[in-house]
Amino acid sequence: MADADASPPQAGEPISEQEALRRLRQSEDSSQQYYGAWWLGRMRSQHPEAVPLLQQALRQRRPRDSGAGVEENAVARNAARALGKLAPAAQAAIPDLLDTLQDADDGLREAAARALGQLAAKAAIEALCEKLASGPAVAGAQQTNSPRLVEPCEALLEALGDIGVNEPRVLAVVKPFLAHERPVIRSAAARTLLQLSGEARWGELLVDLLDHPQLQVRRAALMDLGAAGWRPGYKAIAATLAENSLKLMALRGLVEQGNGDPGDEALLACMDALL
Amino acid sequence: MSQVSPVAARIAALQQAGSAMALLEATQELASCADASAAPVLVEVLGFNNPGAAVAAVEGLISLGTAAVEALLQLDPENYGARAWAVRALAGIGDVRGLELLLDALGSDVVASVRRAAAKGLGQLQLSELPPAQQQDIQRQCLGALLAATSDGEWVVRYAVAVGLELLAAGLPAGSPERQLAQQGLLTLQEATDGTPPVVQRRAKLALSRLELQ
Repeated sequence: MADADASPPQAGEPISEQEALRRLRQSEDSSQQYYGAWWLGRMRSQHPEAVPLLQQALRQRRPRDSGAGVEENAVARNAARALGKLAPAAQAAIPDLLDTLQDADDGLREAAARALGQLAAKAAIEALCEKLASGPAVAGAQQTNSPRLVEPCEALLEALGDIGVNEPRVLAVVKPFLAHERPVIRSAAARTLLQLSGEARWGELLVDLLDHPQLQVRRAALMDLGAAGWRPGYKAIAATLAENSLKLMALRGLVEQGNGDPGDEALLACMDALL
Repeated sequence: MSQVSPVAARIAALQQAGSAMALLEATQELASCADASAAPVLVEVLGFNNPGAAVAAVEGLISLGTAAVEALLQLDPENYGARAWAVRALAGIGDVRGLELLLDALGSDVVASVRRAAAKGLGQLQLSELPPAQQQDIQRQCLGALLAATSDGEWVVRYAVAVGLELLAAGLPAGSPERQLAQQGLLTLQEATDGTPPVVQRRAKLALSRLELQ
C-alpha cells in the first residue's frame, strides 16, 4: 500500500517554486526545509536544482533526537519521498537512497525503499533482498518498544514489485512473507508476486483479503490490486466495503496498469457507478 | 402481538446496533423496506463514519427517490463525511431540488469526493417534467459548473466531470451551442497533458465517441 502524502506542518500561503527551493536551500530552519522538500515532490518540480537540493537534504540526516521538533530526519524523509515522486528525473539520487536504506532510522529506510521502487532502481534489488532475507521471523518481527516491524517490510516488498525484475532470488525472498502474521504484509507480498509473475493465484489471494474484517486490510488489498493492475478483480473491488475513493483509485490502476479482459469500457462503467 | 410497524422495529434495531457489523446489517434491513419514514434515520447513518453502512443508506435513499430529498437537504452542512454521502444520494436521485447543493458542492467543496459526486449528479438531473425554458436554464447552470470544473485539481473530479458532461450533452439537441460547449469540454479533458492521468483521457474519449454515434 502506498503511503499517503504527508501534510506539511504549516499549511500557510501557497508558495512559488523559487520559494520552495529557497526554503530547502537555507539551513537555519528545518521546518522550512521540510515544507520546501514536500512542495517540490507534491508539485513534481522539474527545476534543475530540485534533485541536487533534495539529495543534499537526504545527506543531512543524523541519529534521531526525539526532542528536536522538526528534526533533520523528517526533512530527509520528505526529501526521499519527493525524489520518488520526481522519478524518472531523480535517477542521480539512487546512490544516496541506497545509503539511506542502511540508516538506523526505520522511517527513513521505509521512505528510501518506496522512492527506489518509484525510480524502478534495479541497482537496489540486492540491498532490498538483503533487508528481507531473514524472513518474517526476524526482519518481520515486531520491534520491542513499538508496533513497527524491525524492517519496513511492506515498503521493501512493494519496492521489489515496482522495480519489476522477476528473478528466482527475488521470489524466494518475497514468498515467506505470504505467511506473515499481519495481513497487510501478506497483501504486500501477494501484490509483489502478482506484479512480478502475473500469476492469477496471487490476485485471488488479494481478492480474498478484500473480505477481511478489518477496514485497514481491505484498504491495503484495494491499493495492492490497483498497483498490480489485476483486471479480473474489478467486480470484487467494486463490492468491497470501503470508501469509493479507494475503489476508484484501485480501478484506475486496473485501467492504467493492467491489460486484457475485461476491457476499458467495462472498467470505466464500473468506475462511473462509484462516483 | 406487537403493534409496532416493521419500519419502526427496524429503526429501533438500527438505533440499538452495538457494533459496526450490526449497524451495517440494520441499515441494510431498513434501506430495503422502501418506506419514506426511514429517510431521516438513513440520513443520520451517513454521519456515523461507517462506510459500509453509509453505502447501504445511500442505496436506500436513492431507491426512495424524491421522498428522501427533504431529509437530505436538512443535513448539517458542517458534517463533511455525511455531506459527501448526501451529495451522492442527491446526485443519484436527480431531483432538481438538489441543484443548488450540487452546484455549490462542485464549485466550492474542499473535499474531492463531494465534488466528484456532484459532478456526476449535475449531468443526470431529471428535467423532463419541467417547462422547456426552465429546463434550458438549469442545463446551462449545470454546463457552466461542469466546464469550470474541467480544471479541478483532483483527477477523480475531472473524471466525474467527463461523466457528467456526457450525461448532460446526451440530453441536449445535436448541434446546439450548449452541446458543442459540452463536447469542447470533453475534448479539453481528452487532450489535457498537464498531469491529467490516462484514465481521465480515456473516459473523455469514450464519452465523445458515444455522443458522435448518437
